[in-house]
Amino acid sequence: MPILTLITLTPLAGAIAIAAIPGRETDLIRRTALGFALAAWVMSLGLLAAFALGPVGFQFNEALDWIPSFGIQYKVGVDGLSVLMVVLTTTLTWISILASFKITDRVKGYMISFLILEVGMIGVFIALDLFLFYIFWEIVLVPMYLIIGIWGGANRIYATMKFVLYTLVGSLLMLIAILATAYSYQVGHNGSWIGAFDYQALQGWAAGGHFGDTFQLIAFLALFLAFAIKVPMFPFHTWLPDAHTEAPTAGSVILAGVLLKLGAYGLIRFAVPLYPHAAHQLAGPIIVLSVIAIVYGAIVSIVQTDLKRLVAYSSVSHMGFVTLGIFAFSASALQGAILQMINHGLITGGLFLLVGVIYERTHDRTIAKMGGLAAIMPIYCTIFGFFILASAGLPGLSGFVGEFLVFVGSFGVAPVIAVASIIVMVLAATYLLWMFQRVALGELSDFLRGLGGHLTEINRTEIVTLAPLAVMIVVLGLFPSLVLDLLRAPTQVFLTAVGMGG
Amino acid sequence: MTWHDLGIISPAVVAVLVAAAILLVDFVVPGRRGPVLVTALAGLALLGFVILLQGGRGADTAFGGAYVLDGTTVFLDALFAAIAALTILFAVDYLEPRGLPLAEFAAVLLFAVTGAMLIAGSADLLLLFVGLELMVLPGYVLAGFARRDPYSTEGAIKYFLLGSFSSAILLFGLAYVWGITGTTRVDGVALALARVVAGGPLAPGLAMGLAFMSAGVAFKMAAVPFHYWTPDAYQGSPTPVTAYLSVGPKVGAFAIALRLFVGALGPVKADWLPVVILLAAATMTLGNLVAISQDNVKRMLAYSSIAHTGYLLVGLAAYAGGERSGLAAILFYGAAYTFMNMGAFAIIAALQRRPGVSSQISTFAGLGRRDPWLGLLMAIFLLSLTGIPPFAGFWAKAYVILAAVQAGGWLTVLAILAMINAAGAAFYYLRVVVYMYMRDPVGDAPAAKPGLLFRLGLAVTCAGTLLMGLIPIFLTAATNAASTLHG
Repeated sequence: MPILTLITLTPLAGAIAIAAIPGRETDLIRRTALGFALAAWVMSLGLLAAFALGPVGFQFNEALDWIPSFGIQYKVGVDGLSVLMVVLTTTLTWISILASFKITDRVKGYMISFLILEVGMIGVFIALDLFLFYIFWEIVLVPMYLIIGIWGGANRIYATMKFVLYTLVGSLLMLIAILATAYSYQVGHNGSWIGAFDYQALQGWAAGGHFGDTFQLIAFLALFLAFAIKVPMFPFHTWLPDAHTEAPTAGSVILAGVLLKLGAYGLIRFAVPLYPHAAHQLAGPIIVLSVIAIVYGAIVSIVQTDLKRLVAYSSVSHMGFVTLGIFAFSASALQGAILQMINHGLITGGLFLLVGVIYERTHDRTIAKMGGLAAIMPIYCTIFGFFILASAGLPGLSGFVGEFLVFVGSFGVAPVIAVASIIVMVLAATYLLWMFQRVALGELSDFLRGLGGHLTEINRTEIVTLAPLAVMIVVLGLFPSLVLDLLRAPTQVFLTAVGMGG
Repeated sequence: MTWHDLGIISPAVVAVLVAAAILLVDFVVPGRRGPVLVTALAGLALLGFVILLQGGRGADTAFGGAYVLDGTTVFLDALFAAIAALTILFAVDYLEPRGLPLAEFAAVLLFAVTGAMLIAGSADLLLLFVGLELMVLPGYVLAGFARRDPYSTEGAIKYFLLGSFSSAILLFGLAYVWGITGTTRVDGVALALARVVAGGPLAPGLAMGLAFMSAGVAFKMAAVPFHYWTPDAYQGSPTPVTAYLSVGPKVGAFAIALRLFVGALGPVKADWLPVVILLAAATMTLGNLVAISQDNVKRMLAYSSIAHTGYLLVGLAAYAGGERSGLAAILFYGAAYTFMNMGAFAIIAALQRRPGVSSQISTFAGLGRRDPWLGLLMAIFLLSLTGIPPFAGFWAKAYVILAAVQAGGWLTVLAILAMINAAGAAFYYLRVVVYMYMRDPVGDAPAAKPGLLFRLGLAVTCAGTLLMGLIPIFLTAATNAASTLHG
């Protein structure tokens, strides 16, 4: 059974089904969207359950010739890393759709955009043909552009254009790199295009050292730029605070939870294994940029006055750990980085949902106007506090494990840098706890008092969206091996590719 | 002239006969749209059938080798027939409320298409020029078709003056090449040039001829710096005419390039490669930069069409750089561009069905809410023009870029420039999407209700935009067609 194709097509089927429903049937549209998203989720859990832990390589492979004259295939398959990313995607998508039930403007278009977005995201994680990968990569762009631009905040048009233009510059250069890589492969195979876009064939070719050093450097830089913009790494991060701040709550959740991971995934899957020599050459500067991102993101977070912007900048800092872990080229750092990708998706996704809950009631996100919320919304503030602590890296919760592994892994490579970045965890605790203090503790602020009865406790639907995230944060915090076992084989492959294996 | 010759050029013959039939019908039952429309559409269906038959015929020549029937001819003929059919489908709704005659429009259009078909199959420089003139002269008439509209007249005059000027320049260049090589046959010129080049550097006379011809063709393609007529002619023309002008003469100009530069001047391609690279770089960059600041969507699309000329030139440059797949990329790009660009102009025409509606960008405000279908289609066409997968425009760009990357060297730099341009172009294409979906409607314009034929045309352009890349047969067709070109 082609389960990967089924998972990818389920949201598309949902989008088509919704397109057939008249726009005024908003309730039916919402439920249909949620139904298809849940179906995709259940199937992805089935995939996870059926996934065999032991073997190295890709499972559930499917391959069909698509454009034979250039050897382009519809080829998909998953390893431990992509399985995790697919499950993260399907989980966050249904949560986002449930959290978007409050949207009343153009519900039909919104839900269709979300489901097509899911198709693109899943596709990116399962594609094993570079051309197919690129197509899914770009498919992600359009729905997000619409979600921010149509359902976003006051400054949404500026934010969405910035998001699109940044991403496009990177991805179009990536397209050239992909085409050049395929061509280089074709030349090396006496002009035969067979396998020229096939990831596994290319990786084997790369492992044989067949890509020249200069070529590697240029192609790596092009891919790296595309992925670094998406992650986003310092100094390509400036689109992120605007996009996050203006996006609707669910848009922010997906943006932080999955879209940023696309960049990190691209680095792990494509940029490094295909051009290992260039990756080695540039690892130093990239690690420096990662540390700058970690420190800079944390410092800038401290001074933010807007709740969403604060969480957005904290993403820059947290994703810095991911890129640091990838380019440290050690097993524990890479596993930590991947764990951090998942944790960041769960925790930051949750934080955006929580900020959304306040915004829903106050129509304001200014930290200075908040205060004493715990007195009125105790359950909400408990959950909020939980996610804050998770984000700050409290031991026992999942955030800690990821950062700790990156720390351990990169210590062996560059002790100074590892120590510097671990100090940032103090800064993280500062901006997160200080934010919590200003929002939840102390006297009830005049602004909140003025809202009176509008300030209601978190409701059941909102708890349903947050509960799965909280459960996973605890479970992964206590039993990280659940994820790490899946990552053993991909880590080994990655390290072999960069010549650190064995 | 033998029956065999007539059989070879039968598409052009059929096109002329259909045009004549349309005029005859209009003469017999004057002022009636129905019979004219039926004649035109039936005639185009016949034309399509004839072209299909030509496809099964195998390579052949006519008129003592002046006209050649090969894969490229059939591919381009089919494209031109499709352009004519789509233009007529889109024009009916636009001409009627303005009281403009349909019969003359359709007949003139078919004459133009006949010229384009002659270019597609010309193996002789003189025939090439005759075809060119036959293609562009009706174009001037079409541009000024709304003769009471001063903008239409102004655009037509500019188009006419610069068009005649550039034709003269091209002819001047042809004369030089003829003088030096002593023949007007494309393959004869190629042979003679191969001998001349083998003897040493380019003769000054030949260089002059090349320069004049390049300039002439660049005018027709609207390549920078020979693009000045484009924005006014496009903006002033009735919108369905703009739709035609933006694809018909452009694909025609690239057909000239394929026959002339590839067929005849292939042996000296190293000499014109730098020129094409510079033209391509200047054309796409300037076209995109100016398009960004336009507030009129027709004018914006005019500049965008200049930018697309630049991308097409990348394919030609890739060929000159030694990569034949550039030719297939040009053909594929031409077809993809035809569907998405005509579609985009058609949406403007649909909004302008009521006379008096401008093509300012504010017309599009809130279109996604006001008229969901038109908004969605426009968004698809614009995303395709931007080059976002899975739409046709993406594949077209990918093939052109792939050819450039394969050619290597400076072509790689050109490819990178093209992609940076494509990212910049996203700004102005998506700006229209911003207006359609992210802004509220200004005033209360009633929903445009396009007629059945118009909707059929939209369905075809949309299907082409959606499927051209996803289904590999289009690429195979373009590749097979291009493989028949010599040079």
